Amino acid sequence: MILLVELVTLREAITYSCILSFLAVGITLLYKTTKVPNFAHAALATLGAYVTYSLTSLLGINPYLSLPVSFLIGGLVALCLFFLVLEPMRRAKASVTMLMIATLAFDIVASGAINAYADYLQTTFKISARNVSLIRMDFQIASLPGVFLTSITLIAMTVILLYLLLNRTYLGISLRASMENQILAETIGINTTFTLMLSWFIAGGLAGLGGTLLPVWTQIDTGVGMVFIASMFCASTLGGLGEIYGAFLGGFLLGFAELLGTVILSKTLGTWVIPYRPVIPLIILSVTLLVSPRGLAGILVRRRSK
Amino acid sequence: MITESIFFLFVLDLLAFFSIYSILNLSLNVQYGFTGVPNFGLVFCVAGGAFTVGFLSTRLAAWIFSIDISGLNIIDDNLIIVSKINAVIASQPFYGILLLIVVLVFAAVVGAMLGTLFSLPAVRLREDYLGITFLAFGEILNVIGIAYRDLVGGPPGVNVPDVWAWASGWRFAASTLTIVFIAALIFAYSEYLIRTPFGRVLRAVRDNEVAAAAFGKDVARYRLAAIIIGSMIASITGALYALYSACVTPTFVRFHWTFLPWLMVLLGGVGNNLGVVMGTAVFYTIYKLIIYYKFALAGVVPFDVVWLNYILIGIAVILVLIFRPQGLIPEKPKKMEQT
Amino acid sequence: MLEVYSLNSGYGKLHILYDVQLNCKEREIVAILGPNGSGKTTLLNSIFGIADVFSGSIKLDGQELTGLSPHKIAKMGIGYAMQLQGIFADLTVEENLKIAAKMVGITNFDEATSTIFGFFPDLKKFLGRKASTLSGGERQMLTLSISLIRKPKFFLLDEPTGGLSPLYSSNIIRSIAEINKEFGLSIVLVEQNVRKALEIAHRVYLLVSGRINFEGTPSELAAQKDLMKLYLGMGE
Repeated sequence: MILLVELVTLREAITYSCILSFLAVGITLLYKTTKVPNFAHAALATLGAYVTYSLTSLLGINPYLSLPVSFLIGGLVALCLFFLVLEPMRRAKASVTMLMIATLAFDIVASGAINAYADYLQTTFKISARNVSLIRMDFQIASLPGVFLTSITLIAMTVILLYLLLNRTYLGISLRASMENQILAETIGINTTFTLMLSWFIAGGLAGLGGTLLPVWTQIDTGVGMVFIASMFCASTLGGLGEIYGAFLGGFLLGFAELLGTVILSKTLGTWVIPYRPVIPLIILSVTLLVSPRGLAGILVRRRSK
Repeated sequence: MITESIFFLFVLDLLAFFSIYSILNLSLNVQYGFTGVPNFGLVFCVAGGAFTVGFLSTRLAAWIFSIDISGLNIIDDNLIIVSKINAVIASQPFYGILLLIVVLVFAAVVGAMLGTLFSLPAVRLREDYLGITFLAFGEILNVIGIAYRDLVGGPPGVNVPDVWAWASGWRFAASTLTIVFIAALIFAYSEYLIRTPFGRVLRAVRDNEVAAAAFGKDVARYRLAAIIIGSMIASITGALYALYSACVTPTFVRFHWTFLPWLMVLLGGVGNNLGVVMGTAVFYTIYKLIIYYKFALAGVVPFDVVWLNYILIGIAVILVLIFRPQGLIPEKPKKMEQT
Repeated sequence: MLEVYSLNSGYGKLHILYDVQLNCKEREIVAILGPNGSGKTTLLNSIFGIADVFSGSIKLDGQELTGLSPHKIAKMGIGYAMQLQGIFADLTVEENLKIAAKMVGITNFDEATSTIFGFFPDLKKFLGRKASTLSGGERQMLTLSISLIRKPKFFLLDEPTGGLSPLYSSNIIRSIAEINKEFGLSIVLVEQNVRKALEIAHRVYLLVSGRINFEGTPSELAAQKDLMKLYLGMGE
């Protein structure tokens, strides 16, 4: 039985997967570095989305021009979380659970701040800041939406740059060394506080990038990041929580499963299934943890060692 | 009349919520404080209990009290059905109490099932995987509650029978007293649990998994047991909340039902039941004060002051974690038995 | 010269070393022996700023080390071959060596490794392989090489023969002695393998329950039959 999926759906699935991958790779990077799942990560995407929305609405510039700004702000906020909150706790030998709660608390603060900011935009600048979108400002090439083209370009660039950084530069190698064995890295002279800060900056920046794409792709609200939480952790776990490139794989597999899965199910079972879409990442997460907690990468490793 | 005094009602309401949160925090204490299970998805079971009440109470009441609801739609005619049920309860206190007990039992069972469901994938894994699983699941019940109208009536929610309708003027006194009583029961149970051999194994699992396993204890099974017990208690919390409010809406947010309990448990001292209750009291007082005083700021800041809640409380948690992670009343090391 | 004065250190609330006093002069091999759990690794960790120093002083050529972060100490000409996980398993052997060298400013990789390969020729074969694929003995060679390639003046070694077969153990010990002779490196050696350590050490300290119990030459220690038996399990 061949299920005909429209090209439009395929295109949407790819765009969604790209955004998801930006978030998932940050989760994986931070987990590898600090051994903590960062529950505040989705807020960084929301932040990026609102940075883009603000700059576009207030200054009238093209939304894609705010990509570097979102990257910067996402990175800086992530740095704050690491340096101001997590580092002091890690130095006091806090447990993983305590660190997780800290990221949850940071998420709460960030949500409050973003909501306050949205109110501020509305009252002070008289622009709507909730349930808004910038889709109309997107460009088109050969009837393909700009956000689709931009997201696949950015993802490809990210994969390549990340690979080059981590494998072809001394900075990248010292980053990988710090991620794997922080103490040993210190004993050979690597300033691991610096390398850890760098990985947080990059992870936060990538989340910001993903966030920039959001308002150009869909409607955003102050809780837009929250919608991604289950999916991004699922994607990251699917690829393997410690495998950086696995995050991209997980992001695409889950993105497709979620979007295409929902479309196919709604065509066969009826449109009532659509609001149940969030169940899909939960099921995949559960199956992954039951079958291979180290994700797909874990399966590959096991095969290689046989 | 004293029952109409605003202050009296305010105190009753305060007591009721304090008790509800105490129950929830005790649930978290059993899971995290005793056993080291980081349940970041408490809201999942709380919503589960509340939804059970929302879904079952009307149907059950109609069936048990033999009320004719043929031709009526449970959701669309919800108000009519509930008022019929309330009329019966008003004249027969016994029915109200019976309904209360029956739905609480159902809620507990549902809680156990939900607890099993969302911990199974990760119960053998480390705390980080557990945390992720719990958090991810926590988000789902609201989604289902909103999407599946027959469950609790979709976004607007449903009314549920008032099991204290028989108390008429003293309704709030009756409901608060019931909740305080149940909270006391659960507190007693937790205190008992921690002193049993089972409770000792839980703490062993928390403190040194490897050692516990070496002693032949199936760590995963004990974790699961703790999670199930905790989930049942959390579900009862949701059920009580629904019964108290006499309505259920699919709006159980992570902030109120997962995050705040963690704050209160951390504040009071992890692993210590009395500390948890005290932490609840301390926090709740401060929370009410913040709500009261933030209205003073209402005109000054260019945003809705409710967001200050989030910001201040989030910062408060971070400060507690950095500067006083052991809480106000740290756990006292239990004396070892002489063998 | 490495000097340790009245060192009290441990981890957090755990007090492990009590008033430890020792030194290691130029071109010396100093062995630290003692039963398990006596704090030998903590001693090395303290020197490198990894353990918490409560009081006392550690000086390298007159410069105070306590209070400095490990990566700063690492650049002062002191190397540390750690007991467990002394390599980056996820990196290739080449990357392991390169990053160690780069951190002290050595960029001519071929020149730097020529000496290493002189000692451990096998490593040359493994350059492109992930360090996790190496066997126990090969990993130990890599661990030593990571420190050696940085051309340290002082070398801290924590149980380099740990988990190795007798053949490999002998090889490693012999290499350590040769490194000391050829490069004039001062070595602080923590070892469980008492016999091997006594073979190459110039001086020996006995560390028991966090305190120095004995200081002297290997033959002086060997003469103390009761100490040898009690703390080092060496019978007649």
